[in-house]
Amino acid sequence: MKHIFLLMTLTLTVAALVGGCGPKRPTLHLYTWSDYLDPELVTAFEQANGCRVKIDTFDSNETMYAKVQAGSGGYDIIFPSSYQISLMVQNNMLLPLDKSKLPNVAAHFAEAYRSVILNPEMTYNVPYAVTFTGIAYRKDKIGDAAVDSWASFDNPAFKGRSSLLNDFRETIGAGLKSLGFSLNATNPDELQKACDVVLRWKKNIAKFDNEQYKTGIASGEFVLGHGYSGDIAQVMLEDPANIGFAFPKEGFTAACDEMVIPKTAKEAALAHAFINFLYDPDNACKNIQYICAPMPNTHGIAKLPEEYRKNPAILPPAEVLEKAEVLKDLGAANALYSKVWDTIKATE
Amino acid sequence: MKRNPFPLIMLVLVLAFLYLPIVVLTANSFNLSRFGGTWEGFTLKWYGQLLADNQVWFAFVNSLLIATGATLASCLLGTTAALALHRWDSRLQNVHYGLIYTPLVIPEILMGISLLLTFTAVGMDCGLHTILLAHTTFCVSYVTMTVLARLQDFDDSLIEAARDLGANAWISFVKVQLPLLLPGIISGGLLAFTLSIDDFVITFFVAGPGSSTLPLKVYSMIKHSPKLPVINCLSTVMLALTFTLVLASRAFQNLKQTKAQNGHKNGVPS
Repeated sequence: MKHIFLLMTLTLTVAALVGGCGPKRPTLHLYTWSDYLDPELVTAFEQANGCRVKIDTFDSNETMYAKVQAGSGGYDIIFPSSYQISLMVQNNMLLPLDKSKLPNVAAHFAEAYRSVILNPEMTYNVPYAVTFTGIAYRKDKIGDAAVDSWASFDNPAFKGRSSLLNDFRETIGAGLKSLGFSLNATNPDELQKACDVVLRWKKNIAKFDNEQYKTGIASGEFVLGHGYSGDIAQVMLEDPANIGFAFPKEGFTAACDEMVIPKTAKEAALAHAFINFLYDPDNACKNIQYICAPMPNTHGIAKLPEEYRKNPAILPPAEVLEKAEVLKDLGAANALYSKVWDTIKATE
Repeated sequence: MKRNPFPLIMLVLVLAFLYLPIVVLTANSFNLSRFGGTWEGFTLKWYGQLLADNQVWFAFVNSLLIATGATLASCLLGTTAALALHRWDSRLQNVHYGLIYTPLVIPEILMGISLLLTFTAVGMDCGLHTILLAHTTFCVSYVTMTVLARLQDFDDSLIEAARDLGANAWISFVKVQLPLLLPGIISGGLLAFTLSIDDFVITFFVAGPGSSTLPLKVYSMIKHSPKLPVINCLSTVMLALTFTLVLASRAFQNLKQTKAQNGHKNGVPS
């Protein structure tokens, strides 16, 4: 029996060693979305700073928040969306950024994008990438005409060949925008009117969908699709001749993923260096091409190759940027939206 | 007499539901189209991307390390637990049985969050070691149950015979009981390995910076990655590996059996 006990302790010690031994070089831990950072930049940063960068990924703001809130510390930079940052600030989870260590952000931040981030004073956050929702369409099937409006989803010419996002804030938001209301409206009358609009669209579209519509647009089965710019940009790069992206003239949503440093960070200085490194125009330009979404970096954007700069799904023209509105966390009013969405889903 | 077609139809349906998804997945890993909806032509480029994707391999190595560690530790702890449960029939052992049995029925999410809360309460940073501890915790129950089942058929007179012939407790355990229990331990270990390598819920909670496992990585890729087909490739590679392993162990067993039979013919004990 002694032997067994000895063997047991030995195994557990070995196991603990496997987990416990750490590298001697400092390690920067990122917590971000999957495939959301050019790996070549990571290698370059590692070499320049004699450190290691380890990346962990999450699949939604909510799961990330739940984990960090429950006490899982040790991440040095987290990449949540704007609305989640407000919550993290409220709960005193973030470190105020030391602006003196971020000269590149001060020098290259594109002011035009300040309106689409929720915390524009940028005390805790630096914008990483901005995405929009808009309308993807098949140029070869319907041309460029008359798709730049939410009213396109009413057009009987596209009956059964279009899709709306299966997301209550996005799609009710589209209804609200088509009537000239705010995306973050909490007035029940306005919501009711938006509900009627979406119900009318529902009769004309093929389905509510968040994933397959990309396939539908790529194959030409759908001619019109409400979708995220980042997703559609990827589809467009594969078939630039036939697929277009339009911003509805009534207004549309913008969302921003940003970089924040949590209070539990162990390498705060290195984290600042990394944010500053990403804001270097050459690096920003490289990364925008990798993730197909713009980092608000004036000089980085200017360096983009023409096929990227001319792609509206990657880089929205300056004049449409003014019409973008950011989704806010509505707290208790979310229930109103859920109710409207249930009505929409339940009505045949 | 006309045969009843029902069994055949059921067989085809069951096989289709079990294996068609795997076939589709494998086919899509060679599909030129990124979305997998339509076949656009044969390509190996996703496999190239998989090879180049350091993060996936990093997660894969993490998963292997944890699964191996958790299997070894839980085999050791589980076997000793089963031996104790089998040998003594006291009230304390009843409690012990209950404690070992509980992780089998507790919802995973409860176990995950409670482990995370415990680790943070004692000030332990999350990482590979916490995942290893968590996996060992739930794997022990499975190993114990498998070994215990094996022990129930165990003929205790064999040990008595060994002791009678002069073997001490240790020798009779190592030379008699352990070899007879080995199939149970191995199958418990295999169960533990498979459970550990594809656990998502518990791992999600107790993983810390730099310790993403393959299921965590794949899940976040599915939700948010332009490189979806890379997951198909990874799954195909893992399938191929599993099949090879199973076939190899089959061949190995056959080989041993033939050898054993030949040995008996020549009058040589195997």
